Amino acid sequence: MSLAARHLEENGIATVVLGCALDIVERVGVPRFLFSDFPLGNAAGRPHDPASQGLTLEYALRLLVAAVRARTTWRSPLRWSTSDAWKQDYSNAAHLSPDEIARRKAEFDAQKNIARQQRDQPSQ
Amino acid sequence: MNHENPTGAAAAPATDPPIAYLERIRDYYLALGYGAPYEWAHFEEVPFQPLRLPLEESTVAIITTAAPYQPDKGDQGPGAPYNGSAKFFSVYSGSSAEDPDLRISHIGYDRDHTSAKDINTWFPLRALREAAAQGRIGRLAPRFHGAPTNRSHRVTQEIDCPELLARCRADGVDAALLVAN
Repeated sequence: MSLAARHLEENGIATVVLGCALDIVERVGVPRFLFSDFPLGNAAGRPHDPASQGLTLEYALRLLVAAVRARTTWRSPLRWSTSDAWKQDYSNAAHLSPDEIARRKAEFDAQKNIARQQRDQPSQ
Repeated sequence: MNHENPTGAAAAPATDPPIAYLERIRDYYLALGYGAPYEWAHFEEVPFQPLRLPLEESTVAIITTAAPYQPDKGDQGPGAPYNGSAKFFSVYSGSSAEDPDLRISHIGYDRDHTSAKDINTWFPLRALREAAAQGRIGRLAPRFHGAPTNRSHRVTQEIDCPELLARCRADGVDAALLVAN
């Protein structure tokens, strides 16, 4: 997604990336980035919360207009919840038992095989 | 980085740092027994295109990593486990006038804290329609576009990015919202 933003921008189309992974997007480097400190999958606002979704879009639109240089990141002031406990859970190896790690490895290997097979199908 | 705040509100407190995903994901795959971590692209130079027209006159498009629902590709949610078979490998487009059924089961979103029941959390078409109706933007682009989450930088840069650009140009797009997952 960040690569697409760069390519559009190089060719005359202004862009804003909406995302939840601050370090990853800034690592790649994009022109404008609206960062929402929400669980991955919610870059456009909180679920079932049209006000949050409307504000998130509004911040992105303001950023489109206001940015004067590349790598401009705005952090949305919206919060996911009153607790930040959710940040402990995502792909956190320190919280997983050996059995759970083994289960996830098997699942990951299976998914890789599925994706590889699909990618290699001529119809794709 | 130019960290600014859209509302002028106080900066977030230091006790509330974002997740360090690069480190978290690296450690996760090391724990699972995989070696070299995924290498994210990294650029020193970042292009910048000011908005050419006032926002109120601009045509705005959405670019998404979500995938059209494919009934023959297994559980795609809401709440489905990661489903690699639901991936797509070339750019697609859909009409912004309709309400597409897009899913993110092929993406590593936060399944502990997100049910993926509300498409508006990853695909802001409804909000952008409202912005157009209110005159906040000039026009909603006639199509939205799907960008594959291909893990090959070369394919993304040489094939997908030019295709996205061509489709945006064909629709007279001035600005694009790219929603990551």
